[in-house]
Amino acid sequence: MTSAIWATTGILFAGGLMMAVLRRQLLAMLLGVELMLAAVNVALVHHAELFSDAQGMAAVAILIAIAAAEAVVGLSLILRVLRSGKGVEAGALTRLRG
Amino acid sequence: MTLWAVVIAASVAVGFAGVMVFSRSLYVSAVCLLVVLLQTGVIFLLRGAPLLAFLQVMVYAGAVMVLVVITIMATGGEPEAGFRRFADFSFPKWLAYLGMSTAAFEIAATMAVGGSGGVGVPPMGPVLSAGFAHVLFSSYALATEAVTLLMFLAALAVLPDKEAA
Repeated sequence: MTSAIWATTGILFAGGLMMAVLRRQLLAMLLGVELMLAAVNVALVHHAELFSDAQGMAAVAILIAIAAAEAVVGLSLILRVLRSGKGVEAGALTRLRG
Repeated sequence: MTLWAVVIAASVAVGFAGVMVFSRSLYVSAVCLLVVLLQTGVIFLLRGAPLLAFLQVMVYAGAVMVLVVITIMATGGEPEAGFRRFADFSFPKWLAYLGMSTAAFEIAATMAVGGSGGVGVPPMGPVLSAGFAHVLFSSYALATEAVTLLMFLAALAVLPDKEAA
């Protein structure tokens, strides 16, 4: 069971990392980050159950909420960038303005 | 039996993750991510964490993915943004059939096996369940409050400012 979970976690995390690094669209990068978070959650839940560790379960519950907040902020930032006329490619965002 | 159920759910998750990574359409990627998140919820359930599975389905698959799909639909129709080719809204039929048939199989298997009380979904142990609640509202109480504040601030992020309005 543990090896199956580890394989799943590794493949999902690698896929998310590939998507976050190789794709140029901001939304695709955000989806990759979500996939990585889901992979980490699977590993945490499995080991929390394996070692009867309640702190792992609590960490996953908090991670789910943080990931939801991160997705909302990320999506609103992407929409704002799109409205400013810079497109949705990450390469176009090279300057910060205060 | 639980091992095979986990292996099936994990295989479906990995397959859809592969389609998600290599698809050129963001819409297809988002729907595939939805299937992956649902399958991870199934794995949570099979590993004896029904509350986390419920949270995963409700928060991730229910709220976040709807936001993502709506954002893709809201931005995909603007040709001046150079975004059209990444937002093809046609979903492959074989993929939809595969996802639906897998979900139907998993539901049927859970109902058939779980009803007999044999293998099915292992319940969270009473010690672990009590420990989970105790940790969440004692030593992790500050973190729980911080996450609540974070959710509130995230909700503020979607409000338009004066310049945008």
